[in-house]
Amino acid sequence: MDTTSRLGLPPPFDEAMRRHEREILRFISRVTGNRDDALDLFQETCLRAYRAWPTLDSEDGVRPWLFRIATNLCRNRARDMARRSRVFVTTGNDLSDAARAHSSSNHSRDGVIDISGAIRALPEKQRLAFAMRKLTGMDYSEIGEALGCSEDSARASVYQALKKLRALE
Amino acid sequence: MNFESEIENLVVDEDSGFDAMLDTARKRTARALDRIRRPLARVGFVDTGLGTLFVAEGPRGIITIHYPHGDSAKGVIRELKQHFDLETDEEAARKIGASIDRVLKGDLSALDQRIDLTLAGDGFQRRALEKLRKVPPGAVTTYQALAAISGEPNGQRAVGNAMASNPIPVFVPCHRVIRSDGAIGNYGGGVDRKIALLRAEGFALGKELKVGDTAVYGHQGTHIFCRPTCSAARRANRARMLIFADAEHARHAGLRACKLCRPASAA
Repeated sequence: MDTTSRLGLPPPFDEAMRRHEREILRFISRVTGNRDDALDLFQETCLRAYRAWPTLDSEDGVRPWLFRIATNLCRNRARDMARRSRVFVTTGNDLSDAARAHSSSNHSRDGVIDISGAIRALPEKQRLAFAMRKLTGMDYSEIGEALGCSEDSARASVYQALKKLRALE
Repeated sequence: MNFESEIENLVVDEDSGFDAMLDTARKRTARALDRIRRPLARVGFVDTGLGTLFVAEGPRGIITIHYPHGDSAKGVIRELKQHFDLETDEEAARKIGASIDRVLKGDLSALDQRIDLTLAGDGFQRRALEKLRKVPPGAVTTYQALAAISGEPNGQRAVGNAMASNPIPVFVPCHRVIRSDGAIGNYGGGVDRKIALLRAEGFALGKELKVGDTAVYGHQGTHIFCRPTCSAARRANRARMLIFADAEHARHAGLRACKLCRPASAA
């Protein structure tokens, strides 16, 4: 048995990030729908993960743990944006309301479904669960761990999201 | 295009700009990470004449040498992770183990290693360990004397605790601290290891586990060494005295024999 497994050392941070960076960036990018925000949140996810890396004891659960950090940052950002819009915009739209409004016509003029817009219009939990399931192929237990809910709740969120998106067809 | 294939398209990085975006993200993140990176420490287990040891080495030198018992190495790992990024490196561990084996065979030049006292903190323990490093091979000091020169004349017990949690035994020689009555006292890694190290450094320890009859007392201020029974030695400040294995070791440390008790003739 080598020292890593004998002592329960986590894998080297850089190695773990290399393994998951693509799916994390894709996830953040789809959830925020904005390139600059995605880059900022990706960087912040990496920095937070690095700072908290000493708290990990093994490789088990690294993936949902990273996604939980990314998810929390995405939620924080959405909340900040909603707060800002309440201050500056009298209509008081929050991000999801704005996105929902934007997606009131998820069909473009030529009748093609705007899936990305429709995803952004989903309620937050469904949007995050859907993005994790469909963009990264995470299983429901990992999604539950990342979102801080049960596996069944994660499954239900993905189901609801899919149901709403299919209704656009 | 139907719904399912639309979903599929989300999975594929169909957006040609994604790779460029990932590249940008990597570069920005690498720059930010470089500013907060912890130094790298290489850790591993190694079998030595002192048994199996868990060791760690960083860019500034040896960080820890731990005598594992049960899951104790995990506690050390937890502490190390607060200050360092860890990577297993059995080769680095083997090198440290080879140095320890050389010490046990009497090659005391192997004790000259760079060390990193990060795990000793900044308080009394570090002060005591820094002072202890000045005790040369072939000599020992007492808990009381070490407490005094570390600025706590009544801190014998604190010195005992500091030695018990010494992060780098062997190279920070906590085995060179004994009791004031000449008995070798306890050791974090077990008394047998302390005996092995002291013997390797020239101490003849009898069955009573006390420094032998050949031991001489050397004063760090006057640079004179005496027999333990010498009246001059009894009057000297004990805090500044070291106990050498024999006259030869005292001479090697740059001390001269006392002209009253003539310890050199006893050696």
